[in-house]
Amino acid sequence: MQVLCCDDDFERWRAQARHLLMQQVAPHAVVWADQVQPQLFANAPNADEQPAMAPALPPPRVSAQLLGELETAAQYRTPGRWNLLYRVLWRVVEGERHAGLAGDADGSELQRRIKAVRREAHHLHAFVRFHPLTDHPWLDYVAWHECAHDVLASASMHFAERLGRQRWLIVSSRDAVWYDGHELHYRRTCPGEWASLAARTRDSGDPLWETYYSSIFNPARLNPEVMQGHMPLRFWAGLPEGHLIAGLISLARTGAQKHGQTEALAGKSGKVIRAMQQHSAANRKAP
Amino acid sequence: MELIEKLTVLADAAKYDASCASSGAPKRSSKGKDGIGSTNGMGICHSYTPDGRCVSLLKILLTNFCLYDCQYCINRRSSDVPRARFTPEEVVTLTLDFYQRNYVSGLFLSSGIIQSPDYTMEQLIRVAKVLREEHQFRGYIHLKTIPEADPALIAEAGRYADRLSVNIELPSAESLVRLAPEKELISITGAMGTIDSASQESRFDKRAPAFAPGGQSTQMIVGADASDDSRILRTAETLYGQYRLRRVYYSAFSPIPNSPSSVPFQAPPLMREHRLYQADFLLRGYGFKVNELIGAQGNLPLDIDPKLAWALANRDLFPVDLNLAEPQVIARIPGIGVRSAQRIVDLRRLKRIRFDDVVRLRCVIEKAKPFMITSDYHPQQASLESSVLRRQLSDQPAQMALWG
Repeated sequence: MQVLCCDDDFERWRAQARHLLMQQVAPHAVVWADQVQPQLFANAPNADEQPAMAPALPPPRVSAQLLGELETAAQYRTPGRWNLLYRVLWRVVEGERHAGLAGDADGSELQRRIKAVRREAHHLHAFVRFHPLTDHPWLDYVAWHECAHDVLASASMHFAERLGRQRWLIVSSRDAVWYDGHELHYRRTCPGEWASLAARTRDSGDPLWETYYSSIFNPARLNPEVMQGHMPLRFWAGLPEGHLIAGLISLARTGAQKHGQTEALAGKSGKVIRAMQQHSAANRKAP
Repeated sequence: MELIEKLTVLADAAKYDASCASSGAPKRSSKGKDGIGSTNGMGICHSYTPDGRCVSLLKILLTNFCLYDCQYCINRRSSDVPRARFTPEEVVTLTLDFYQRNYVSGLFLSSGIIQSPDYTMEQLIRVAKVLREEHQFRGYIHLKTIPEADPALIAEAGRYADRLSVNIELPSAESLVRLAPEKELISITGAMGTIDSASQESRFDKRAPAFAPGGQSTQMIVGADASDDSRILRTAETLYGQYRLRRVYYSAFSPIPNSPSSVPFQAPPLMREHRLYQADFLLRGYGFKVNELIGAQGNLPLDIDPKLAWALANRDLFPVDLNLAEPQVIARIPGIGVRSAQRIVDLRRLKRIRFDDVVRLRCVIEKAKPFMITSDYHPQQASLESSVLRRQLSDQPAQMALWG
């Protein structure tokens, strides 16, 4: 049994896997250590992991599509994440082309991880909340966001397309990413200075947005299960609107459900508009 | 009036419009450019409210002052609601601020009719024009189109907006006469026609400026009048065919405060709305025709989805062999969607399809089971009566209670 460590880095894993394939090492004869599941006898990540044996086979070739899928699935955080990837790769190289497809036992797990990673990237694009900074020398916006998988590096360029030349920073408890208006800078460990910048704005609310969120909600259509399915609980703490949800639900349950109007308007006096001649119904020809 | 008060009134007034989609726009990026905003065709839901609906756009009215007296609308002139009006500049500032904080992917702007339809339309266009030209905003813009406005104004709106929509409001011309006295079917469909021909022109002439690249949509209110589902779906099918609409939105009539006696006062028919969306999806994505899903009169069943209802009424076409059937036929099996059907076809090039393969594809296996054959499975239920099967497969009563 070989024990390897790729330091949770796809390119390093790829080089190791290629070497193993050339040596015809079967998936059951190798195991990868990772951050979550360290292996006792793993080689140090920076050690030269190529044994001095001469390669037995020419370098294997696989499709760019499979490689892309493996790279995406590699971002899925789970203990032993690298072992499945090698098993799929090995089987495809051995001629089992369906090993990466959803109908296969390994392929189904691979596709499930890919789907979860894509969904997490989508969550990043949806639920990041930027707080504006004024008069900061190298930053316009800062956000705190926790991803469940390693998507921050690969999915953050989306915000450069959205925000043009503006400079922004997204911080998590592990990694962080800063866009300086031209280039993206990824840090596997978030620098302390960045973390404290984000911490300062973390709990700042936004009255305008909270007003909008409360007013656009239709209490007559209350359906919290669907909401939670789309917007998992773990994100609520990072959203300025998160703290409003429980209150809106209980208000709707205790009476407002009969019609759609927001509570804030219920007691306000209204204004009926006088009909103008050319628009009044009475003036219209009978059909 | 403070901006925050206006926002309370004018977001509340806009919530009855079901659409919040930011999809269908061409790919735009602000990377390395002045201005902000991007679109990629997909749309993003930035939040969800406790009604389970997505918040994708800043959806507001420019004003809820209105000269019209549509009975189902909270903003009708005879309604006793607080009124407010944004200046175009206020809407621009709010949009840019919400966009940069990543709350929304753009703006969906509608308005009550003030002064005249043309004047109202000009105000809506002004907001979009300032966003696009002065602020180089490349995010999503959806403008509600006032049907009675000058066609030249509709053409101008399409140059700034990704999507335009004219609400059909009600499924029949008679209901429109009764409940929306100032609106006329002919001006609504006329505006849809104007949008459609302008959109076709810009598509065929590559040098012409883009016109509402996200197409047009409409909204039909369900349950405010007595129209049945057959009528609603036939109206939708006609609109899809005649004006190439991207989407018809069905909005369960939501009772409004101080409701007039001409419209119902009960909880919105959410399950009915849900079944209409399912049927609509079968029309757009699966090649079903309305006649296959529903008779000349009547409603869709509430206890089972329309695809299962169709399959139960057409038992002679089942069970379908997953190793032999065309993908379009596989996609007609209840519980198996278009994407799963394609995956099954991809997989069977490499191996015979077995029961476990279908389970792994995460199809709704309980629903699909009676209607499919694999190399190791033949349904015992194939001989069961449709009425018995229906009882087995109908949605749980608990769920019905949940939906009201």
